[in-house]
Amino acid sequence: MSTAATKLQVEHSPQAKPQLRVLMVEDNPLDATLILRSLRQGGFDVNATTVQDEAAFLRALRTHNPEIVLADFNLPGWEGMGAVKVLRREGLDIPLILVSGALGDVSAVECIKRGATDYVLKDGLVRLPEAIRRALEEKHLRQERKRAEEDLASKAAELARSNADLEQFAYVASHDLQEPLRMVAAYTQLLSERYQGKLDADADKFIGYAREGALRMQVLIQDLLAFSRVGRKEQSCCSVDCNAVMRDVLQILEASIKESGATVNYESLPEVWADNTQMVQLFQNLIGNAIKFRGTEPPVISVQAGAQPETPAESKTETKTEAKDHEWLFSVSDNGIGIAPEDVGKIFAVFQRLHSRTEYPGNGIGLAICKKIVERYGGRIWVESQAGGGTTFKFTMPLQPRESKAEASQP
Amino acid sequence: MKAAHELLIVDDNPADIALAREALNACAYRGQINSVEDGAEALAFLGRRGNYANAVKPDLVILDLNLPKRDGHAVLAAMRASPDLRKIPVVIFSTSQLSRDIARSYELGANCYVSKPGNLTEFFSMMKSIEKFWFGSVKLPPRGE
Repeated sequence: MSTAATKLQVEHSPQAKPQLRVLMVEDNPLDATLILRSLRQGGFDVNATTVQDEAAFLRALRTHNPEIVLADFNLPGWEGMGAVKVLRREGLDIPLILVSGALGDVSAVECIKRGATDYVLKDGLVRLPEAIRRALEEKHLRQERKRAEEDLASKAAELARSNADLEQFAYVASHDLQEPLRMVAAYTQLLSERYQGKLDADADKFIGYAREGALRMQVLIQDLLAFSRVGRKEQSCCSVDCNAVMRDVLQILEASIKESGATVNYESLPEVWADNTQMVQLFQNLIGNAIKFRGTEPPVISVQAGAQPETPAESKTETKTEAKDHEWLFSVSDNGIGIAPEDVGKIFAVFQRLHSRTEYPGNGIGLAICKKIVERYGGRIWVESQAGGGTTFKFTMPLQPRESKAEASQP
Repeated sequence: MKAAHELLIVDDNPADIALAREALNACAYRGQINSVEDGAEALAFLGRRGNYANAVKPDLVILDLNLPKRDGHAVLAAMRASPDLRKIPVVIFSTSQLSRDIARSYELGANCYVSKPGNLTEFFSMMKSIEKFWFGSVKLPPRGE
Protein backbone atom coordinates (compact mmCIF):
# COMPACT_ATOMS: atom_id res chain seq x y z
CA MET A 1 0.00 0.00 0.00
CA SER A 2 1.38 3.35 -0.94
CA THR A 3 1.85 6.11 1.55
CA ALA A 4 -0.57 8.32 -0.31
CA ALA A 5 -3.32 5.72 -0.04
CA THR A 6 -2.80 5.36 3.70
CA LYS A 7 -3.07 9.07 4.16
CA LEU A 8 -6.22 9.18 2.11
CA GLN A 9 -7.76 6.47 4.23
CA VAL A 10 -6.94 8.29 7.43
CA GLU A 11 -8.48 11.48 6.14
CA HIS A 12 -11.64 9.70 5.19
CA SER A 13 -12.03 7.62 8.31
CA PRO A 14 -14.87 8.88 10.52
CA GLN A 15 -13.25 10.95 13.24
CA ALA A 16 -14.55 10.87 16.80
CA LYS A 17 -16.84 13.87 17.14
CA PRO A 18 -15.80 16.26 19.91
CA GLN A 19 -18.09 15.91 22.93
CA LEU A 20 -19.34 19.35 23.87
CA ARG A 21 -20.89 20.09 27.27
CA VAL A 22 -23.54 22.74 26.61
CA LEU A 23 -25.62 24.61 29.15
CA MET A 24 -28.72 26.10 27.59
CA VAL A 25 -30.74 28.87 29.17
CA GLU A 26 -33.97 28.39 27.27
CA ASP A 27 -37.69 28.25 28.12
CA ASN A 28 -38.99 27.01 24.78
CA PRO A 29 -38.56 23.21 24.34
CA LEU A 30 -38.98 23.47 20.60
CA ASP A 31 -36.25 26.06 20.30
CA ALA A 32 -34.00 23.91 22.49
CA THR A 33 -34.54 20.97 20.14
CA LEU A 34 -33.81 23.09 17.08
CA ILE A 35 -30.62 24.42 18.64
CA LEU A 36 -29.40 20.94 19.55
CA ARG A 37 -30.17 19.71 16.07
CA SER A 38 -28.15 22.55 14.52
CA LEU A 39 -25.23 21.63 16.75
CA ARG A 40 -25.37 17.95 15.74
CA GLN A 41 -25.63 18.95 12.10
CA GLY A 42 -22.64 21.20 12.64
CA GLY A 43 -20.55 18.21 13.74
CA PHE A 44 -20.82 18.34 17.53
CA ASP A 45 -21.56 15.45 19.83
CA VAL A 46 -23.61 17.39 22.37
CA ASN A 47 -24.11 16.73 26.04
CA ALA A 48 -26.67 19.41 26.96
CA THR A 49 -28.54 20.57 30.01
CA THR A 50 -31.30 23.15 29.84
CA VAL A 51 -32.24 25.56 32.62
CA GLN A 52 -34.66 28.49 32.90
CA ASP A 53 -33.67 30.45 36.00
CA GLU A 54 -30.72 31.63 37.97
CA ALA A 55 -30.82 29.00 40.72
CA ALA A 56 -30.88 26.13 38.22
CA PHE A 57 -28.19 27.85 36.16
CA LEU A 58 -25.91 28.10 39.18
CA ARG A 59 -26.50 24.44 40.04
CA ALA A 60 -25.82 23.33 36.48
CA LEU A 61 -22.59 25.27 36.35
CA ARG A 62 -21.30 23.06 39.16
CA THR A 63 -22.81 19.73 38.16
CA HIS A 64 -22.60 19.97 34.38
CA ASN A 65 -19.33 21.90 34.11
CA PRO A 66 -20.27 23.40 30.73
CA GLU A 67 -17.79 24.47 28.09
CA ILE A 68 -20.26 26.87 26.55
CA VAL A 69 -23.47 28.61 27.52
CA LEU A 70 -26.22 29.27 24.96
CA ALA A 71 -28.72 31.72 26.41
CA ASP A 72 -32.03 33.02 25.15
CA PHE A 73 -32.31 36.76 25.48
CA ASN A 74 -35.83 36.82 26.92
CA LEU A 75 -37.10 34.34 29.48
CA PRO A 76 -40.29 34.50 31.55
CA GLY A 77 -38.50 34.71 34.88
CA TRP A 78 -34.95 35.70 33.89
CA GLU A 79 -32.91 37.09 31.03
CA GLY A 80 -29.92 35.79 29.11
CA MET A 81 -27.67 38.64 30.15
CA GLY A 82 -28.28 37.64 33.80
CA ALA A 83 -26.27 34.52 33.01
CA VAL A 84 -23.34 36.73 31.91
CA LYS A 85 -23.40 38.44 35.31
CA VAL A 86 -23.45 35.10 37.12
CA LEU A 87 -20.47 33.82 35.11
CA ARG A 88 -18.55 36.98 35.87
CA ARG A 89 -19.47 36.88 39.57
CA GLU A 90 -18.34 33.27 39.79
CA GLY A 91 -15.07 34.10 38.04
CA LEU A 92 -15.76 31.58 35.27
CA ASP A 93 -14.29 32.06 31.81
CA ILE A 94 -17.03 30.24 29.88
CA PRO A 95 -18.11 31.79 26.57
CA LEU A 96 -21.78 32.70 26.40
CA ILE A 97 -23.58 33.00 23.08
CA LEU A 98 -26.93 34.67 23.00
CA VAL A 99 -29.39 32.71 20.87
CA SER A 100 -32.47 34.77 20.46
CA GLY A 101 -35.50 35.26 18.29
CA ALA A 102 -35.73 39.00 18.55
CA LEU A 103 -32.63 41.03 18.99
CA GLY A 104 -31.94 44.32 17.23
CA ASP A 105 -28.43 45.03 16.00
CA VAL A 106 -27.87 47.83 18.47
CA SER A 107 -28.72 45.78 21.51
CA ALA A 108 -26.63 42.87 20.18
CA VAL A 109 -23.56 45.09 20.14
CA GLU A 110 -24.52 46.30 23.61
CA CYS A 111 -24.74 42.68 24.85
CA ILE A 112 -21.29 41.88 23.50
CA LYS A 113 -19.96 44.99 25.19
CA ARG A 114 -21.47 43.77 28.44
CA GLY A 115 -19.75 40.41 28.20
CA ALA A 116 -21.60 38.08 25.84
CA THR A 117 -19.22 36.39 23.44
CA ASP A 118 -21.48 36.40 20.40
CA TYR A 119 -25.09 36.34 19.35
CA VAL A 120 -26.94 34.20 16.86
CA LEU A 121 -30.50 34.71 15.70
CA LYS A 122 -32.83 31.76 15.99
CA ASP A 123 -33.68 31.97 12.28
CA GLY A 124 -29.97 31.79 11.47
CA LEU A 125 -29.03 28.76 13.57
CA VAL A 126 -26.88 27.40 10.77
CA ARG A 127 -24.31 29.96 11.91
CA LEU A 128 -24.28 28.62 15.48
CA PRO A 129 -21.72 25.77 15.20
CA GLU A 130 -19.20 28.13 13.64
CA ALA A 131 -19.87 30.74 16.35
CA ILE A 132 -19.25 28.09 19.02
CA ARG A 133 -16.03 26.91 17.38
CA ARG A 134 -14.80 30.47 17.22
CA ALA A 135 -15.76 31.17 20.84
CA LEU A 136 -13.95 28.05 22.05
CA GLU A 137 -10.91 28.84 19.92
CA GLU A 138 -10.80 32.40 21.29
CA LYS A 139 -11.01 31.07 24.81
CA HIS A 140 -8.19 28.66 24.08
CA LEU A 141 -6.01 31.47 22.68
CA ARG A 142 -6.91 33.68 25.63
CA GLN A 143 -5.75 30.99 28.04
CA GLU A 144 -2.60 30.32 26.05
CA ARG A 145 -1.74 33.99 26.05
CA LYS A 146 -2.43 34.28 29.76
CA ARG A 147 -0.23 31.27 30.46
CA ALA A 148 2.53 32.69 28.27
CA GLU A 149 2.27 36.06 30.01
CA GLU A 150 2.42 34.47 33.45
CA ASP A 151 5.32 32.37 32.33
CA LEU A 152 7.16 35.42 31.03
CA ALA A 153 6.43 37.44 34.17
CA SER A 154 7.71 34.68 36.43
CA LYS A 155 10.83 34.25 34.29
CA ALA A 156 11.45 38.00 34.40
CA ALA A 157 11.03 38.05 38.17
CA GLU A 158 13.36 35.08 38.50
CA LEU A 159 15.94 36.78 36.32
CA ALA A 160 15.71 40.03 38.26
CA ARG A 161 16.11 38.10 41.51
CA SER A 162 19.13 36.17 40.28
CA ASN A 163 20.68 39.37 38.91
CA ALA A 164 20.21 41.08 42.25
CA ASP A 165 21.68 38.05 44.03
CA LEU A 166 24.66 38.06 41.72
CA GLU A 167 25.21 41.77 42.22
CA GLN A 168 24.97 41.36 45.98
CA PHE A 169 27.36 38.42 45.79
CA ALA A 170 29.92 40.34 43.75
CA TYR A 171 29.75 43.21 46.18
CA VAL A 172 30.01 41.14 49.36
CA ALA A 173 32.68 38.86 47.95
CA SER A 174 34.86 41.67 46.73
CA HIS A 175 34.34 43.70 49.90
CA ASP A 176 35.17 40.81 52.22
CA LEU A 177 38.09 39.66 50.09
CA GLN A 178 39.74 43.04 50.43
CA GLU A 179 40.42 42.70 54.14
CA PRO A 180 42.64 39.56 54.16
CA LEU A 181 44.21 40.67 50.91
CA ARG A 182 45.25 43.93 52.52
CA MET A 183 47.32 41.83 54.96
CA VAL A 184 48.92 39.79 52.19
CA ALA A 185 49.79 42.93 50.27
CA ALA A 186 51.13 44.77 53.32
CA TYR A 187 53.25 41.92 54.63
CA THR A 188 54.71 40.91 51.29
CA GLN A 189 55.70 44.53 50.85
CA LEU A 190 57.21 44.59 54.35
CA LEU A 191 59.08 41.37 53.56
CA SER A 192 60.42 42.72 50.31
CA GLU A 193 61.48 46.02 51.84
CA ARG A 194 63.09 44.55 54.92
CA TYR A 195 64.70 41.43 53.48
CA GLN A 196 65.57 42.57 49.97
CA GLY A 197 69.09 41.24 49.25
CA LYS A 198 69.38 39.58 52.67
CA LEU A 199 68.09 36.19 51.63
CA ASP A 200 69.05 34.84 48.23
CA ALA A 201 68.10 35.86 44.70
CA ASP A 202 65.30 33.26 44.53
CA ALA A 203 63.73 34.57 47.74
CA ASP A 204 63.73 38.12 46.37
CA LYS A 205 62.13 36.87 43.16
CA PHE A 206 59.47 34.80 44.97
CA ILE A 207 58.55 37.62 47.32
CA GLY A 208 58.37 39.93 44.31
CA TYR A 209 55.90 37.62 42.53
CA ALA A 210 53.77 37.24 45.65
CA ARG A 211 53.70 41.00 46.05
CA GLU A 212 52.81 41.65 42.42
CA GLY A 213 50.05 39.05 42.61
CA ALA A 214 48.57 40.62 45.71
CA LEU A 215 48.69 44.11 44.23
CA ARG A 216 47.06 42.93 41.02
CA MET A 217 44.35 41.18 42.96
CA GLN A 218 43.66 44.36 44.90
CA VAL A 219 43.15 46.22 41.63
CA LEU A 220 40.92 43.43 40.31
CA ILE A 221 38.76 43.54 43.41
CA GLN A 222 38.50 47.30 43.22
CA ASP A 223 37.48 46.96 39.58
CA LEU A 224 34.87 44.37 40.48
CA LEU A 225 33.54 46.65 43.19
CA ALA A 226 33.44 49.54 40.73
CA PHE A 227 31.55 47.31 38.28
CA SER A 228 28.99 46.18 40.82
CA ARG A 229 28.64 49.76 42.07
CA VAL A 230 27.35 50.85 38.64
CA GLY A 231 24.20 48.86 39.33
CA ARG A 232 24.04 49.62 43.04
CA LYS A 233 24.61 53.34 42.89
CA GLU A 234 21.46 55.29 43.52
CA GLN A 235 20.32 57.07 40.41
CA SER A 236 20.94 60.75 40.81
CA CYS A 237 19.91 61.68 37.30
CA CYS A 238 19.88 65.17 36.01
CA SER A 239 20.37 66.85 32.70
CA VAL A 240 24.05 66.29 31.92
CA ASP A 241 25.80 68.42 29.33
CA CYS A 242 28.09 66.03 27.46
CA ASN A 243 30.36 68.93 26.43
CA ALA A 244 31.08 69.56 30.12
CA VAL A 245 31.59 65.82 30.57
CA MET A 246 34.14 65.89 27.75
CA ARG A 247 36.00 68.81 29.35
CA ASP A 248 36.26 66.82 32.61
CA VAL A 249 37.40 63.72 30.77
CA LEU A 250 40.10 65.60 28.83
CA GLN A 251 41.38 67.01 32.09
CA ILE A 252 41.48 63.57 33.73
CA LEU A 253 43.28 62.11 30.69
CA GLU A 254 45.55 65.14 30.24
CA ALA A 255 48.79 63.26 30.91
CA SER A 256 48.14 60.42 28.48
CA ILE A 257 46.82 62.83 25.83
CA LYS A 258 50.04 64.83 26.04
CA GLU A 259 52.23 61.76 26.10
CA SER A 260 50.56 60.16 23.06
CA GLY A 261 50.09 63.42 21.13
CA ALA A 262 46.40 62.65 20.84
CA THR A 263 43.86 64.99 19.27
CA VAL A 264 40.33 64.71 20.63
CA ASN A 265 37.60 66.46 18.64
CA TYR A 266 34.04 67.02 19.80
CA GLU A 267 31.49 69.70 19.22
CA SER A 268 27.97 70.57 20.24
CA LEU A 269 27.22 67.35 22.08
CA PRO A 270 23.71 67.12 23.51
CA GLU A 271 22.46 67.02 27.07
CA VAL A 272 21.38 63.63 28.32
CA TRP A 273 19.35 62.54 31.31
CA ALA A 274 21.84 60.56 33.39
CA ASP A 275 24.17 60.48 36.36
CA ASN A 276 27.07 62.87 35.77
CA THR A 277 29.75 60.64 37.33
CA GLN A 278 28.68 57.69 35.23
CA MET A 279 28.75 59.75 32.03
CA VAL A 280 32.30 60.84 32.87
CA GLN A 281 33.20 57.19 33.54
CA LEU A 282 31.68 56.15 30.20
CA PHE A 283 33.52 58.74 28.08
CA GLN A 284 36.72 58.36 30.08
CA ASN A 285 36.80 54.61 29.41
CA LEU A 286 36.06 54.98 25.70
CA ILE A 287 38.52 57.79 25.07
CA GLY A 288 41.11 56.23 27.38
CA ASN A 289 40.86 53.04 25.31
CA ALA A 290 41.19 54.97 22.04
CA ILE A 291 44.43 56.46 23.34
CA LYS A 292 45.72 53.22 24.84
CA PHE A 293 45.09 51.07 21.77
CA ARG A 294 46.69 53.49 19.34
CA GLY A 295 48.65 52.59 16.24
CA THR A 296 51.92 54.10 15.13
CA GLU A 297 50.28 57.45 14.32
CA PRO A 298 49.27 59.82 17.13
CA PRO A 299 45.65 59.11 18.05
CA VAL A 300 42.92 61.18 16.39
CA ILE A 301 39.68 60.72 18.27
CA SER A 302 36.33 62.14 17.31
CA VAL A 303 33.21 62.23 19.46
CA GLN A 304 29.92 62.95 17.73
CA ALA A 305 26.26 62.74 18.51
CA GLY A 306 22.98 63.20 16.75
CA ALA A 307 19.30 62.55 17.29
CA GLN A 308 18.16 59.27 15.91
CA PRO A 309 14.59 58.92 14.62
CA GLU A 310 12.55 55.93 15.65
CA THR A 311 13.25 52.91 13.54
CA PRO A 312 10.28 51.80 11.42
CA ALA A 313 9.90 48.58 13.41
CA GLU A 314 9.44 50.53 16.62
CA SER A 315 7.09 53.14 15.23
CA LYS A 316 4.69 50.83 13.47
CA THR A 317 1.83 51.77 15.78
CA GLU A 318 2.32 55.47 15.21
CA THR A 319 1.51 57.36 12.09
CA LYS A 320 4.46 58.38 9.99
CA THR A 321 3.83 62.09 10.42
CA GLU A 322 4.20 61.76 14.18
CA ALA A 323 7.58 60.04 13.97
CA LYS A 324 9.91 61.99 16.24
CA ASP A 325 13.45 61.85 17.53
CA HIS A 326 13.77 58.74 19.57
CA GLU A 327 17.23 58.64 21.10
CA TRP A 328 20.72 60.11 20.88
CA LEU A 329 23.28 58.20 18.90
CA PHE A 330 26.83 58.83 20.07
CA SER A 331 29.96 57.68 18.33
CA VAL A 332 33.56 57.68 19.51
CA SER A 333 35.91 56.86 16.68
CA ASP A 334 39.67 56.53 16.57
CA ASN A 335 42.49 55.62 14.19
CA GLY A 336 43.92 52.96 16.47
CA ILE A 337 44.81 49.30 16.08
CA GLY A 338 41.20 48.21 15.65
CA ILE A 339 39.57 44.98 16.74
CA ALA A 340 39.56 41.78 14.70
CA PRO A 341 36.02 40.72 13.69
CA GLU A 342 36.28 37.48 15.69
CA ASP A 343 36.98 39.48 18.87
CA VAL A 344 34.19 42.03 18.50
CA GLY A 345 31.73 39.86 20.41
CA LYS A 346 33.98 39.45 23.43
CA ILE A 347 35.04 42.92 24.33
CA PHE A 348 32.15 43.90 26.60
CA ALA A 349 32.61 40.92 28.96
CA VAL A 350 34.01 41.42 32.45
CA PHE A 351 37.78 40.92 32.70
CA GLN A 352 38.00 40.16 28.99
CA ARG A 353 41.36 41.18 27.57
CA LEU A 354 42.55 40.75 24.01
CA HIS A 355 46.20 41.55 24.63
CA SER A 356 48.89 40.51 27.07
CA ARG A 357 49.45 42.70 30.08
CA THR A 358 52.88 43.68 28.82
CA GLU A 359 51.48 44.85 25.46
CA TYR A 360 48.66 46.87 26.98
CA PRO A 361 48.04 47.18 30.72
CA GLY A 362 44.55 46.88 32.19
CA ASN A 363 42.12 44.38 33.62
CA GLY A 364 39.41 44.33 30.98
CA ILE A 365 36.78 45.99 33.12
CA GLY A 366 36.39 49.32 31.29
CA LEU A 367 34.07 48.28 28.47
CA ALA A 368 32.04 46.03 30.79
CA ILE A 369 31.41 49.13 32.91
CA CYS A 370 30.55 51.16 29.78
CA LYS A 371 28.00 48.56 28.75
CA LYS A 372 26.47 48.44 32.19
CA ILE A 373 26.18 52.22 32.35
CA VAL A 374 24.63 52.58 28.88
CA GLU A 375 22.17 49.74 29.46
CA ARG A 376 21.20 51.20 32.79
CA TYR A 377 19.75 54.18 30.97
CA GLY A 378 18.02 51.99 28.40
CA GLY A 379 20.66 52.50 25.70
CA ARG A 380 22.73 50.06 23.64
CA ILE A 381 26.44 49.99 22.92
CA TRP A 382 28.27 48.28 20.09
CA VAL A 383 31.47 48.52 18.12
CA GLU A 384 32.30 48.84 14.46
CA SER A 385 35.89 48.01 13.76
CA GLN A 386 38.43 46.16 11.68
CA ALA A 387 41.86 45.04 12.77
CA GLY A 388 44.24 47.84 11.78
CA GLY A 389 41.39 50.01 10.56
CA GLY A 390 40.48 52.06 13.59
CA THR A 391 37.53 51.59 15.87
CA THR A 392 34.18 53.30 16.29
CA PHE A 393 32.19 52.72 19.44
CA LYS A 394 28.55 53.65 19.15
CA PHE A 395 26.01 53.92 21.89
CA THR A 396 22.53 55.29 22.31
CA MET A 397 21.01 57.25 25.16
CA PRO A 398 17.30 57.97 25.43
CA LEU A 399 16.15 61.54 24.98
CA GLN A 400 15.43 62.96 28.37
CA PRO A 401 11.82 62.89 29.48
CA ARG A 402 10.07 66.11 28.51
CA GLU A 403 8.68 66.93 31.96
CA SER A 404 12.13 66.45 33.47
CA LYS A 405 13.60 68.69 30.78
CA ALA A 406 11.50 71.57 32.03
CA GLU A 407 12.52 70.94 35.63
CA ALA A 408 16.18 70.88 34.81
CA SER A 409 16.22 74.05 32.74
CA GLN A 410 19.14 76.29 33.59
CA PRO A 411 18.36 79.34 35.72
CA MET B 1 61.48 64.36 82.61
CA LYS B 2 58.06 63.52 81.17
CA ALA B 3 56.64 60.02 81.59
CA ALA B 4 56.69 57.95 78.39
CA HIS B 5 53.49 58.09 76.36
CA GLU B 6 50.93 55.32 76.72
CA LEU B 7 49.07 54.19 73.63
CA LEU B 8 46.28 51.64 73.43
CA ILE B 9 45.53 50.01 70.09
CA VAL B 10 42.21 48.14 69.80
CA ASP B 11 42.07 45.95 66.71
CA ASP B 12 40.77 42.43 66.19
CA ASN B 13 43.42 41.71 63.59
CA PRO B 14 46.79 40.84 65.20
CA ALA B 15 48.41 41.43 61.82
CA ASP B 16 47.18 45.03 61.85
CA ILE B 17 48.43 45.52 65.41
CA ALA B 18 51.83 44.15 64.41
CA LEU B 19 51.84 46.44 61.40
CA ALA B 20 51.02 49.44 63.60
CA ARG B 21 53.87 48.48 65.94
CA GLU B 22 56.23 48.23 62.97
CA ALA B 23 55.12 51.60 61.75
CA LEU B 24 55.45 53.26 65.16
CA ASN B 25 58.88 51.72 65.70
CA ALA B 26 59.91 53.02 62.30
CA CYS B 27 59.11 56.57 63.38
CA ALA B 28 60.06 58.49 66.47
CA TYR B 29 57.56 56.94 68.90
CA ARG B 30 59.31 55.91 72.10
CA GLY B 31 56.33 55.25 74.35
CA GLN B 32 54.48 52.15 75.46
CA ILE B 33 52.23 50.33 72.99
CA ASN B 34 49.44 48.26 74.52
CA SER B 35 46.99 46.31 72.42
CA VAL B 36 43.78 44.35 72.87
CA GLU B 37 41.74 42.44 70.28
CA ASP B 38 38.10 42.99 71.14
CA GLY B 39 35.76 45.62 72.58
CA ALA B 40 35.17 43.89 75.91
CA GLU B 41 38.92 43.58 76.48
CA ALA B 42 39.32 47.25 75.59
CA LEU B 43 36.79 48.27 78.25
CA ALA B 44 38.41 45.92 80.80
CA PHE B 45 41.80 47.48 80.03
CA LEU B 46 40.49 51.02 80.31
CA GLY B 47 38.58 50.20 83.51
CA ARG B 48 41.62 48.36 84.92
CA ARG B 49 39.57 45.26 85.60
CA GLY B 50 40.50 41.56 85.67
CA ASN B 51 43.80 40.87 83.96
CA TYR B 52 44.25 44.59 83.46
CA ALA B 53 44.21 45.64 87.13
CA ASN B 54 47.67 47.12 86.70
CA ALA B 55 47.06 48.73 83.32
CA VAL B 56 48.04 52.35 82.88
CA LYS B 57 45.44 54.75 81.58
CA PRO B 58 46.41 55.49 77.96
CA ASP B 59 47.09 58.96 76.55
CA LEU B 60 45.55 57.98 73.23
CA VAL B 61 43.33 55.15 71.97
CA ILE B 62 43.51 53.98 68.37
CA LEU B 63 40.22 52.18 67.89
CA ASP B 64 39.03 49.91 65.09
CA LEU B 65 35.27 49.78 64.50
CA ASN B 66 34.65 46.21 63.47
CA LEU B 67 35.40 44.35 66.70
CA PRO B 68 34.04 41.20 68.31
CA LYS B 69 31.92 41.38 71.50
CA ARG B 70 31.62 45.19 71.74
CA ASP B 71 32.19 47.07 68.51
CA GLY B 72 34.22 50.24 68.24
CA HIS B 73 31.18 52.52 68.48
CA ALA B 74 30.08 50.79 71.71
CA VAL B 75 33.56 51.15 73.20
CA LEU B 76 33.63 54.81 72.23
CA ALA B 77 30.15 55.41 73.70
CA ALA B 78 31.17 53.71 76.98
CA MET B 79 34.33 55.83 77.17
CA ARG B 80 32.42 59.06 76.60
CA ALA B 81 29.89 58.08 79.25
CA SER B 82 32.61 57.50 81.83
CA PRO B 83 33.87 60.57 83.77
CA ASP B 84 37.20 58.83 84.12
CA LEU B 85 37.72 58.03 80.43
CA ARG B 86 35.86 60.75 78.56
CA LYS B 87 38.91 63.01 78.15
CA ILE B 88 41.09 60.38 76.47
CA PRO B 89 41.46 61.24 72.79
CA VAL B 90 40.22 58.51 70.47
CA VAL B 91 41.38 58.03 66.88
CA ILE B 92 39.00 55.79 64.95
CA PHE B 93 41.12 53.69 62.59
CA SER B 94 38.94 51.60 60.30
CA THR B 95 38.76 50.25 56.76
CA SER B 96 35.12 51.33 56.60
CA GLN B 97 34.49 54.20 54.20
CA LEU B 98 30.77 54.29 54.94
CA SER B 99 29.58 57.78 55.69
CA ARG B 100 27.21 56.48 58.37
CA ASP B 101 30.17 54.89 60.23
CA ILE B 102 32.11 58.14 60.01
CA ALA B 103 29.17 60.31 61.10
CA ARG B 104 28.32 57.98 63.99
CA SER B 105 31.92 58.07 65.23
CA TYR B 106 31.93 61.85 65.45
CA GLU B 107 28.47 61.88 67.01
CA LEU B 108 29.78 59.62 69.74
CA GLY B 109 32.73 61.92 70.35
CA ALA B 110 35.61 60.54 68.32
CA ASN B 111 38.49 63.02 68.04
CA CYS B 112 39.15 62.02 64.48
CA TYR B 113 38.34 59.35 61.93
CA VAL B 114 41.18 57.92 59.90
CA SER B 115 40.66 55.48 57.03
CA LYS B 116 42.94 52.48 57.36
CA PRO B 117 45.03 52.57 54.15
CA GLY B 118 45.20 49.54 51.88
CA ASN B 119 48.90 49.60 51.17
CA LEU B 120 51.93 49.48 53.39
CA THR B 121 53.53 52.76 52.36
CA GLU B 122 50.36 54.70 53.08
CA PHE B 123 49.76 52.73 56.27
CA PHE B 124 53.21 53.65 57.55
CA SER B 125 52.87 57.30 56.62
CA MET B 126 49.40 57.46 58.20
CA MET B 127 50.70 55.99 61.49
CA LYS B 128 53.57 58.41 61.34
CA SER B 129 51.29 61.40 60.98
CA ILE B 130 49.04 60.17 63.80
CA GLU B 131 52.09 59.79 66.02
CA LYS B 132 53.50 63.14 65.04
CA PHE B 133 50.25 64.98 65.60
CA TRP B 134 49.06 63.38 68.85
CA PHE B 135 52.41 62.91 70.54
CA GLY B 136 54.19 65.90 68.98
CA SER B 137 51.90 68.78 68.14
CA VAL B 138 49.06 68.27 70.59
CA LYS B 139 48.81 69.11 74.27
CA LEU B 140 47.21 65.97 75.72
CA PRO B 141 44.91 66.10 78.72
CA PRO B 142 47.07 66.33 81.89
CA ARG B 143 47.64 63.03 83.63
CA GLY B 144 45.94 62.21 86.92
CA GLU B 145 43.24 64.85 86.78
